[in-house]
Amino acid sequence: TCNPSEKLDLDEWKKVMKSGLHEEVSETVSERKEVSTLDAAREILEMWRLAGRSVPEQISEEQLKTFMECPSKSAKKKYLKYLHLKELYKKNDKRKMDEKRERRLETQEQVSKTDETKRNSFVFVWANFMDRAYSWRVAQSMIFGQPLVFDMSYEKDMSVREVANTVRQIVLSESFNRRSADPFHIHFCNLKDDSLYLKEFVKNYREAWGKLLITVTDQCYTEVFPKDKLIYLTADSPKVMKTFDHDKIYIVGSMVDRSIKTGVSLAQAKRLGLETAALPLEKYLLWSSGAKNLTLDQMMHILLTLKDTGDWKKALEFVPKRKYCGFVSKP
Amino acid sequence: SVQPPEKPLQAEEWNRLRESFRSPEMFEEVMFSSMIRCNTPIDVAKSLLTHVARSKGDIAYNLLVKYLALCVQQGQTSEIRDVYDIMKIKFKILESGAYNLLIKGLSNSDQWRMALTLLEEVKNIMIPSRTNYESCIKAASRHREMNLAVDLYHEMLSKDLVPTLDVLQAFFDFSRGMKGAELQKELFGILIYLRENQIYPHKTFMRSIKLWFESIPGGNWRGHLTNIKDSGQCPVCNHQLESSDLTEEEYNNLRERIIRDVIHGTDTFRKTSPQEFEAFQTFVENRLPFDIVIDGLNVSHIKPRKMQCENLFDAVNCLAKENARLLVLGRKHMLINSSNWKTEIMKEMQNKADFFFAENISEDDAFLLYATLRSGKHCKFVTRDFLRDHKACLSDSLMRQLFRKWQRGHQIVFSASAGGKHINFLPAFCYDCVVQTTGDTWHIPYKNTFEEKYSYQVPRKWLCIQQK
Repeated sequence: TCNPSEKLDLDEWKKVMKSGLHEEVSETVSERKEVSTLDAAREILEMWRLAGRSVPEQISEEQLKTFMECPSKSAKKKYLKYLHLKELYKKNDKRKMDEKRERRLETQEQVSKTDETKRNSFVFVWANFMDRAYSWRVAQSMIFGQPLVFDMSYEKDMSVREVANTVRQIVLSESFNRRSADPFHIHFCNLKDDSLYLKEFVKNYREAWGKLLITVTDQCYTEVFPKDKLIYLTADSPKVMKTFDHDKIYIVGSMVDRSIKTGVSLAQAKRLGLETAALPLEKYLLWSSGAKNLTLDQMMHILLTLKDTGDWKKALEFVPKRKYCGFVSKP
Repeated sequence: SVQPPEKPLQAEEWNRLRESFRSPEMFEEVMFSSMIRCNTPIDVAKSLLTHVARSKGDIAYNLLVKYLALCVQQGQTSEIRDVYDIMKIKFKILESGAYNLLIKGLSNSDQWRMALTLLEEVKNIMIPSRTNYESCIKAASRHREMNLAVDLYHEMLSKDLVPTLDVLQAFFDFSRGMKGAELQKELFGILIYLRENQIYPHKTFMRSIKLWFESIPGGNWRGHLTNIKDSGQCPVCNHQLESSDLTEEEYNNLRERIIRDVIHGTDTFRKTSPQEFEAFQTFVENRLPFDIVIDGLNVSHIKPRKMQCENLFDAVNCLAKENARLLVLGRKHMLINSSNWKTEIMKEMQNKADFFFAENISEDDAFLLYATLRSGKHCKFVTRDFLRDHKACLSDSLMRQLFRKWQRGHQIVFSASAGGKHINFLPAFCYDCVVQTTGDTWHIPYKNTFEEKYSYQVPRKWLCIQQK
């Protein structure tokens, strides 16, 4: 056979790309001048998406404005990546839900209808019953339980996204607490009426916000509790916590700190003249990497376990595995 | 990954390759990436594009960009233009990746002016990157259009883009032997830019500067490489370099700003406490002025095999000559007798120097800065710390510049060659290590190309240029 490349028209692709596009050219030229900045940003994003960058497919006007207000190129990139990932997670969740629904429909066809309603109502009654049991316990804790304070005075040190993350972590913490055998009496202190914290809480809890069995106040914990009973938990504290004290009131700073502001909560405790403590992470764990500050829900798990068992090893199981490579074997 | 073919392929051959690939939907993308990596001849890439265009009736944007990258890599100017034309027909606007490639590719060709047009186009949709400007400036100066290059350079500075040393060097390289007072003024301006941003040119850049000076027609400039004496005198032209001292006004400004921004910051409690800081202030005010302030904890680690208090003891003895008034900053834990801190030695030291012991959780560097700055312009300080985090607390660049100048002139560092038993210190420079001029002389510090440089270390090599 002959050399195949001789038959090839290597520039044929150009003809294909150029064909039938002349009408559009004149159209775009007239359009160009009237493009508003918001639309222009949308166009750029579309091009970035075509170029294969991490960009969300759908973007709201509000998000587009936030994007345009990002102070630097890298900030823009980061924000887009965040939106992109959020979109991916959402899509994945939706796909899983759909699959689940399909599976359920399939099984429903096999099982007779009467059985199903029976089981459904049983599940419903059981869930309702558990909710009441939890509420009863938390109500008990509001009278007799050990207080645990979340200090809501760090809004000024955080970005909007950090505040949202913080509240998300507290919501998780509160739900763990509600489900535990012996819950804390949770106090949200320094929570101001017009704060971003509060806005986020209402967004997360909706109408349940008013019915939560916790104490919310705009007062400082120093006004609510005797000073000598308070211990501020902070990773920057020079003092290491030895045992969990059931007579003390522990304070956790409601702060997510992505931009390395060391010593903020320690400064707060120093200012108020409070005792401080850090978890004995190094005493029990062979630390490998990562910051010593833990998320608020991890703190809640650890404190609840300590309260119930006093067992450090058990409590520190809640430190993320990637941060340490094992437990210190005691001599 | 896949190995790109060596010759253009027919449609069915591409199809066969595609089917043998484990994820066929990504085949073209992966293939183009590997073509870029292997620098495959563009005819092969063209045959794939033709295959894609025939089978799908269209070519995706990201494939076009990858093809463009291949063309730029191989300097295929006419292809670059063709791709640009096609992209302009198909898309309303292009994104930065394509523009970067187009500008880079065209600026290196005889159609470099087209790169300038594209730069204008980029400006309509975003701020061009510094490499966009770099390509255009280099292209203009390569074609001896220095005015154009200078305009672009100013435009880039006005957009807060930081020029690379490469671009700056290009100005000197391509202006060699050219006449014109305006151009000369611009290049002097670049040297002043180096001065203001405390940038030290590397060896080859320095050579470009020297050659340019010597090439100025009728300029009679001569350059020599030299080392400056400790006294600050240039051995070539006997010129005395600028003193490292700050003016009274600069010094006062810096002092106030450091106390405000670094020590107090947003919250005094983060680094110390108001009570402690007040106690320290009273302590310092009652004993002023000091000649040398020592970061005790930092110094105590100089020789790791020695006891920490012995290291400190040696340092204090070494610096205590000539009745200098010393202040040693420490932390309270140093006062507790331990294997590293012996009470007798600590007591003996306290006869030779004043000591202030801060709380164990306070940051003593803040105290170091305060005590030194309160003692006055003559006072020096000793630490191996780079003080980078403190410089970062200063909000504006002018203050950071002053801080660096003050640091250069007042930080005493350990000599690296101290292999013996004794501790040696390098005195702080009495002259300032920055690009400087008197009009008919220029003195330019430079570094060897890949030399590691810490903020307290300054180059010791200089280019001396004088007009005869």
